[in-house]
Amino acid sequence: MQPLDYIAAGIQAVIFGPAAFELLGVPIPLTLVMVFAGVVTGILVGATPGLAGPMAMAISLPILISFFGYNVEALLPVLGFLIGIMKGATLGGAVPAILFNTPGTPDAYMTTLDGYPLTKQGQSRKALKVAHLSSVSGDTFSDIALFVCAPFVALMVERHLDFPEKTALLILSLSFIAAVIGGSPGKGLISVALGLIAVFIGGGEDFYPRLSLGTDALAGGFSIMTAILGILIVGAVLKEYEDLWHRSNLSGALERIVDHGDQRLTRAEILRIAPYIGQSSIVGTIIGALPGIGTTLAAALGYQLGRARHERRRSEGAPAFGEGVIEGVAATEAANSSVSGSNLIPVLGLGIPGNAAAVFIILATDSIGGFTPGPSVFRFSESVVNTELVLVFGLFTAMLFANLVNWTFGGAFMRAATVMVRVPKRTLLPVVLLLTLTAVYAQEPSMESLWFTLGFGILGYLMRKVDMSPLPFVIAFVLGGSLENSARQAFSATGGDPYFLFSSWISIFFLAGSVVTVVLALRQKRTDSTQA
Amino acid sequence: MYRLNIYIGSGAVLLALVGLFLWIPQDTGTGLIVRVRRQVSIGDALAPTIAFTLMAIGGALLLVERRKHTSAEVSIAPFLHTGALVAVIALGLLLMRHAGPGILLIAEGFGATDTEYRLLRETFPWKYIGYFLGGVTIIGGMASLSAGRLQARTVLIAGVVTIGLVALVDVPFDDLLLPPNGDY
Repeated sequence: MQPLDYIAAGIQAVIFGPAAFELLGVPIPLTLVMVFAGVVTGILVGATPGLAGPMAMAISLPILISFFGYNVEALLPVLGFLIGIMKGATLGGAVPAILFNTPGTPDAYMTTLDGYPLTKQGQSRKALKVAHLSSVSGDTFSDIALFVCAPFVALMVERHLDFPEKTALLILSLSFIAAVIGGSPGKGLISVALGLIAVFIGGGEDFYPRLSLGTDALAGGFSIMTAILGILIVGAVLKEYEDLWHRSNLSGALERIVDHGDQRLTRAEILRIAPYIGQSSIVGTIIGALPGIGTTLAAALGYQLGRARHERRRSEGAPAFGEGVIEGVAATEAANSSVSGSNLIPVLGLGIPGNAAAVFIILATDSIGGFTPGPSVFRFSESVVNTELVLVFGLFTAMLFANLVNWTFGGAFMRAATVMVRVPKRTLLPVVLLLTLTAVYAQEPSMESLWFTLGFGILGYLMRKVDMSPLPFVIAFVLGGSLENSARQAFSATGGDPYFLFSSWISIFFLAGSVVTVVLALRQKRTDSTQA
Repeated sequence: MYRLNIYIGSGAVLLALVGLFLWIPQDTGTGLIVRVRRQVSIGDALAPTIAFTLMAIGGALLLVERRKHTSAEVSIAPFLHTGALVAVIALGLLLMRHAGPGILLIAEGFGATDTEYRLLRETFPWKYIGYFLGGVTIIGGMASLSAGRLQARTVLIAGVVTIGLVALVDVPFDDLLLPPNGDY
């Protein structure tokens, strides 16, 4: 098959795949229905303070797998739903930030700075329109970057990296994540180490399951679902509940929003915010492609650059950033939304998840089977059909459809989602917890798995409590098995050479990069502390 | 925060030392390198050794990271509150696990039935008893703990929400088992 045939096959897999139902005799593709449902769910979840896209992805994944089963046909509907959530949540996060000064997702914090003042000026609907336009533009730009870059990254990796280099690349990714997340390389390394230890328990090639303390409970190891849902969701629920205990529940006393003046977004205004959207989209896309650096940094950087641009052009007496300017909303929303497409570049190109949402994409493919993200996915084989590549183009089609849904219905759903701010957290969080436990049990029907989930939840809570990001733990848990297998294969392939990691300049470069990343992060930390 | 970092760093180094010198040597089947039939391969102990070494390095870095000296105290009250939350969740899980079989045992005592739980796990109301009682305990208990008082309204909401979850998760999916039915 030629590259264009693969693209056509991917589109066909979505359009002519299994039908969800018939409308006036026309079959409606299941994948498109799932993407639509995912986007709507994502907007609602994003608009609910205390919930986030990865939470909804985590809960829905086991339930979807139970419903669709473990077969290749399930991949596109399940991944379509998850990607829909991912895209919808970034859009929905802006709603409470603009209307109620309460960011729905952490990356929407910067949106409050100009969004809420606009609401106070009676311009809430205009602010929502700006957020919608900027968010979807940034997202679409990022998706195009993904479509263009992921195959090249994968082909480069496939062509130049063998087992030793792949092992070194995994080490570099983990070091990078440990160094940049959480603001302390020490804590990042501890988090990575904990994730690796957890995944190594019960594993190994010997008959005796290592580190199992001779118990049956640990002999099988921890399943990926219990560890990740425990650390990410249960840990977050316990921490959120503690925060709730500190302050009164905000959802009871919401201000009444009164709009006045023209709420339309004029052509002149669109042209005014376009450079801010473009600038932030590029920043967000670059940040999204790097593992571990999330949407929050993208939003902060997009906002800072936008402010600098605005200051250079601002006339005397005109409002500045932070005083309610639409450019501020545009700069933030374009930046945080443009992360979502490009963060799939390391996932699809290298098989390395860069953030929590990407972890669930890997988890879905890992659980369902038939698709292993990594360089081999992009092998344009002419003689034999590479079904994984067809699936990738199916996934790209689903992403484009999700963007289309966001462009057309996103604005209306954003306005409708304002009701979610009124849901009391005190009731919502235990429901999320129970739903998480139910989802874990659906995937792994044993009460033992629920106890493990609770145990990981306590660990996740303690990590958050001491300001240690749980994300390096999660990524180390996901990559730990691959790292060990890759090292075993590299060791065997080099005939038992103990210095196999130094067998090529590329792997030496990656290893040096790992050390330099940690050292630089440590020096940065010291500089910050000295200045403080 | 500085003192807290010292505690975390010291704890990590201590745990790493325990792992490297006690846990791994005692609890892995093969060493760092294995030689089988003149073939050398990586043993099961190597990967955890690297992980514990990373932990030791992380702990040491945390100890040497220069931080502004503050006397920030970590309050014990939030930990107690979260401890109470975890206790409520644990109670909910215990109820989830044992309520159905327990009620069946009582029913057997009264001569109402002589069927074992395994045979009833997919029939109404047995399949829902544990999940319902456990769910109501978790939702109602956590919400009440957070509000600082137990209200009938909270329990009612917990009951309705749990029934809603049953309708959402169990009714549409035939193959999906609610806890604890997969254990039987």
